Amino acid sequence: MNPKRSLTVTKRVLFELKNDKRTLAMIFIAPIFAMTVFGLGFSGDVHDIKVIVVNQDQGFLNPISHSNVSISEKIIANIDRDVLVVGYGSDVKASIDKVKNGDSYAVIVFSPDFTRTLMMKMQNASYSGNATVKVMADKSNVNVGNAIIKAVSDAVAKTIKKEGLKAPMEIDANDAIYGKGMTFIDFFIPGIMGFVVFLLTTLLTLITFVGERTSGTLDRMLATPLKESEIVVGYATAFGITGTLQTAELLTFGILVFGIPVEGNVGLAFIIIALLAIVSQALGILLSAFAKREAQAIQFIPFIILPALLLAGVFWPVEAIPSWLRPFSYIIPPFYAVEGCRAVMLRGWGLDKVWLDIVALVGFAVVFLTLAMLTLKMRRK
Amino acid sequence: MSSKTKGKGKADSFAVVAKGLTKQFGKFTALDAFDLKVRKGEVYGLLGPNGAGKTTAIKIMCRLLKLTAGSFSLLGMPMGDGRIPQQVGYMPQETALYNNLTVHQNIEFFGHVFGLDNATIAKREAELLEFVDLVKWRDSLVSNLSGGMKHRTSLACALVPQPELLFLDEPTVGVDPKLRASFWNYFDMLKSKGITIVITTHYMDEARHCDRIGFMRAGRLIAEGTPAEILKRTGTDSLEDAFLKAAEGAVE
Repeated sequence: MNPKRSLTVTKRVLFELKNDKRTLAMIFIAPIFAMTVFGLGFSGDVHDIKVIVVNQDQGFLNPISHSNVSISEKIIANIDRDVLVVGYGSDVKASIDKVKNGDSYAVIVFSPDFTRTLMMKMQNASYSGNATVKVMADKSNVNVGNAIIKAVSDAVAKTIKKEGLKAPMEIDANDAIYGKGMTFIDFFIPGIMGFVVFLLTTLLTLITFVGERTSGTLDRMLATPLKESEIVVGYATAFGITGTLQTAELLTFGILVFGIPVEGNVGLAFIIIALLAIVSQALGILLSAFAKREAQAIQFIPFIILPALLLAGVFWPVEAIPSWLRPFSYIIPPFYAVEGCRAVMLRGWGLDKVWLDIVALVGFAVVFLTLAMLTLKMRRK
Repeated sequence: MSSKTKGKGKADSFAVVAKGLTKQFGKFTALDAFDLKVRKGEVYGLLGPNGAGKTTAIKIMCRLLKLTAGSFSLLGMPMGDGRIPQQVGYMPQETALYNNLTVHQNIEFFGHVFGLDNATIAKREAELLEFVDLVKWRDSLVSNLSGGMKHRTSLACALVPQPELLFLDEPTVGVDPKLRASFWNYFDMLKSKGITIVITTHYMDEARHCDRIGFMRAGRLIAEGTPAEILKRTGTDSLEDAFLKAAEGAVE
């Protein structure tokens, strides 16, 4: 292994990129584009859902103050208006028809004796009947359905607390251990960073290396004093450099434009994603052995994108993946990068806690680089 | 094999000694117990139709293919010797260049992998660009060159390391006659420096520039000698006819 010869390969790959404006654009514009599109379009929190409230509650006349009390009004007032856009209806059936026509997502009904039942029940636990908020939602969109139910439950809980109503239980979730005030996008950006670097680096190396194999330049290199290991390490260095620059670009963009919080050491987050870039380029070389032409390399794209997208915890936590499928997450390199990067950026974890992710990535790099080298050796068949 | 070759006994006077090279791809035998001896400082032409095994033989000796059977030594070093790559140059049949690099960057890369310093590369590059008539195109991207220019760039890349032994696979394909003549002059100049060249071509007439030629067919050497010897032996007046005669089994 001659490092100087290896660097010759690195230099050559970088010169090639420099002369190839299209690819250069792909390396540096595509990640920003992807992050912006995902970041803006996929904020994850549903909002502005139209609902219809049918409030039949007649309230309860306070025998002492002689004023009419309506708990339902208070609950309605406590609904988070960012999430639900509240309209009012008088007829339940007509309101349901509106949902059926797609004009609205849910009908929320308070019965005529809602406040009365509630008050009686508080006075006398054995009072028969319950004060029920009836939510009839269009649950065909699961996210929307869940958001409506959560908004109503939150409003109920808030009212109970604010009005000092007697409730035997309450949930206090205000003290977050990590991620206080965090939004979905804060969770999402580290994921998308790992995903974009993985995808672009793997593809770029795959296509470049298939080109080396088909154009005869790989044979030509193998007929010089260059050794397989020097070629692979030379490539790893080159795409390690581009991957590192991509990472730096994405981190800067994520922090400055999307304002994602960095609780931990930015340098550590950076190292984790840069390691992923090295793993990805080795995977690209490895996969190139199985493609005879560029067109065949394109066929690999779904097999690279889908597992990374679905199983690596980019969009949703791996806990959301069916448990029998979960072991597959552990053999996907971006999983470790996304997990590690998220922990550093959002929880502020240090090397003492994310070392396992780093070890996993280094392990992948070693295994993939070795296998990539073997595919080159096998070429001399 | 000519009696003349057998007479020269000393092993180190040969740049190439191949014995029984055999290569099978599945059931297809590309090389069938192929023997070859090339003297140091000689320009040796391997001739034959497509599929005769010329490229396979060269790829084996350039370590790009593994042998099914047989053995070879280059410049007195047995196959597998770690010093061989530094001493042996190769120009593949396909253009095999980096399209997104300039002519200069391609040449420089193939100089650097042989460990040459920038000054040596610059000196040889200037000389080579003159000879392949690409001085004006030095800083053009290879992707912008014509097929013939790419081919000449490829030759320049193979020549820049100036190894002791050169394998050139169809170096004159797609090159116009005038430039082809200057190629052969350059090969003569390399020869005068003691460099051994093994060249494949299917332009029979141009093989007369070689010191010796070998006819290949179906993975075997079917005739060998100086161009004059071969013409005399086959009683023909063109190498084309000589090959046809050899292929019929008229010679050995």
